[in-house]
Amino acid sequence: MEWDSSSSSSSSDLSGDDDGGGFLLNDGGPLPFPVDTLLQPAPCGFVVTDALEPDNPIIYVNSVFEIITGYRAEEVLGRNCRFLQCRGPYAKRRHPLVDSTVVSEIRRCLEDGIEFKGELLNFTKDGTPLMNRLRMTPIYGDDEVITHIIGIQFFTEVNLDLGPLTGSTAKVTVKSSDPFRSSLLSCRLTPDETRNSSIGLSGILQLTDEVISLKILSRLTPRDIASVGSVCRRFYEVAKNEDLWRMVCQNAWGSETTRVLEAVPGAKRLGWGRLARELTTLEAAAWRKLSVGGAVEPSRCNFSACAVGNRVVLFGGEGVNMQPMNDTFVLDLNSSKPEWQHVKVSSPPPGRWGHTLSCVNGSNLVVFGGCGTQGLLNDVFLLDLDAKHPTWREISGLAPPLPRSWHSSCTLDGTKLIVSGGCADSGVLLSDTFLLDLSMEKPIWREIPVTWTPPSRLGHTLSVYGGRKILMFGGLAKSGPLRFRSSDVFTMDLSEDEPCWRSVTGSGMPGAGNPGGKAPPPRLDHVAVSLPGGRMLVFGGSVAGLHSASQLYILDPTEEKPTWRMLNLPGLPPRFAWGHSTCVVGGTRAIVLGGQTGEEWMLSELHELSLASSVI
Amino acid sequence: MTSSKTIVLRSSDGATFEVDEAVALHSLMIKHRIETGGADSTTIDVPEVTGNTLSKVIEYCKKHVEAPNSDDLKSFDTDFVKVDQAVLCHLAKASYYMNIKGLLDLSSKTIADMFKGKTVEQIRETFHIKNDFTPEEEEELRKENSWNLFV
Repeated sequence: MEWDSSSSSSSSDLSGDDDGGGFLLNDGGPLPFPVDTLLQPAPCGFVVTDALEPDNPIIYVNSVFEIITGYRAEEVLGRNCRFLQCRGPYAKRRHPLVDSTVVSEIRRCLEDGIEFKGELLNFTKDGTPLMNRLRMTPIYGDDEVITHIIGIQFFTEVNLDLGPLTGSTAKVTVKSSDPFRSSLLSCRLTPDETRNSSIGLSGILQLTDEVISLKILSRLTPRDIASVGSVCRRFYEVAKNEDLWRMVCQNAWGSETTRVLEAVPGAKRLGWGRLARELTTLEAAAWRKLSVGGAVEPSRCNFSACAVGNRVVLFGGEGVNMQPMNDTFVLDLNSSKPEWQHVKVSSPPPGRWGHTLSCVNGSNLVVFGGCGTQGLLNDVFLLDLDAKHPTWREISGLAPPLPRSWHSSCTLDGTKLIVSGGCADSGVLLSDTFLLDLSMEKPIWREIPVTWTPPSRLGHTLSVYGGRKILMFGGLAKSGPLRFRSSDVFTMDLSEDEPCWRSVTGSGMPGAGNPGGKAPPPRLDHVAVSLPGGRMLVFGGSVAGLHSASQLYILDPTEEKPTWRMLNLPGLPPRFAWGHSTCVVGGTRAIVLGGQTGEEWMLSELHELSLASSVI
Repeated sequence: MTSSKTIVLRSSDGATFEVDEAVALHSLMIKHRIETGGADSTTIDVPEVTGNTLSKVIEYCKKHVEAPNSDDLKSFDTDFVKVDQAVLCHLAKASYYMNIKGLLDLSSKTIADMFKGKTVEQIRETFHIKNDFTPEEEEELRKENSWNLFV
């Protein structure tokens, strides 16, 4: 068998070179039968796969394989052989004419570690159908473990008219009764320029799909992937992969955010690609109204609400006679008929309003501060919502912050509670920042030391972005002996050794500069929603002057020159929205509880700002 | 105990490179071949990699095996990938085939950086990729992939 293999790559064929292309062709090697019997009267393809690697990647193909299938070794190494069942190099699915029972039989033999013999329809790179008389033999190493699979393919012509291969840039092969000769001819006649990977010019297209998507594209932002998908056909296909999008989302938004998005039940979940797009463009964002059952009674205001996965949890508040309340309610938005349910707990925390409620450690809720019957509080209580008998537990941390109300809080890394500012005894406004690490067995309060703080305030918001950065916005801020509503923005990077407050223009100087664009009117008690990727949406609150509280504003602190923009979405926004009673469920739905008129405090009609399409 | 055994690696175009076994073992593919090939496998064919690329791969492995804790490892890596996109892609391909995770990650990351913030045309230019869409398909794509905020 003499093949004039003019390809410069490729190694020895079956005629058995002395030095051997690899261990397999050594005499007395692990082959179960002499090499001679492998030789057929007609040339056959020879493929070796690595059975120890996931999905049996090809590690060797001979030149006959290359010539007949039209795929060069470097295009197929590292891939599983199943690409031969797809018609053409861009198809992603097995061709319907390929017999799936034979494929199952192959799988079964592989699992059982026995030889397979059978016939399967395959396709050359330019779409020509071939019948592959295939023999697959497992090779056992030490310890009875299969280390390689050898595939021997005897290809014959098949009489099938499948029409032209659409979308292919490969030229059509000359049909002849001898598939091998015609393939050889076409190989020599086909100039390299018809393929989109002129070897030596575009190196990247020579890489496997796995390397391109998992190793390279997964590091890019959603927007960059959108561009990549428009570059050429190959990239278009690669960029459609959902696993790639999941990695991209995780890298762009962090694992906490991805975890929350993933917790939405499958049927209601958009694919990662669609989600990435919608959360970047906000093209499907809209206001909706939501009716729920049950009731939060006795009615109250100034409670705190927080999302745990797809559930809304509410604690405390101020009753009609100004009495501080201590009961807990849950609304499960996963259910087909969501309704408020009172959570029976033993030993609830002392009643309060003006406190913060945050979600930590998965399904835990933490309450801090607020105003109770005896005055301001600085205690910490934790509740595991998923426990069999949910119980509020006090966390006694050493050196707690001053007792306060109307402070703001946020959660870092899903485990650390951060509180800042608020109003202390005798009406003094605070400007400190404290951190409580709830992942520790015995959590300790730690004040974050800074050389300069923004003016002290209450009713401001703290949002987390970019992993470990926090953004403070608005509030009622101290200005000499007076207090004014603020629309200032300050950020702090908690991953630094010595975190410090900065204005968004990057300067550490006080009052150094705010974002450009038209800033929202100054306000307190507003809602700040963090979008994946770092942007922040602001609306609601107690707004200075006659401005509407329902106008939405958006800010991206990660931009080079952060700029406020107004956002106009379809649907009817609520007339009132308050920070303490708004939370984001499932990562994409901002649920606004309650307003100012009497009925709304019953909480049966909610407003929702949904950031992505709902798939129901 | 360090073995002074050497291995010969042979590229697709017949170039041979003699390397310390320890350096060669940095490639898990070669390690696997040696371990399964028996005691006398001193020459390993690497038919998927040309001589030029293989010599660079060996240079990487040498540095990472012989001085893994050196302070200048980071700057070595940075300088190592200051090559044009074709060489980078060959390195990525070779390190994938030869199963050298560090080099695969390094070259992939560098290639990824070459995509960031580029338009479709710029990507094509950088990587010498031909536009193989029909004009109608391009128009469809332009609509599909224009991610504009506040649409």
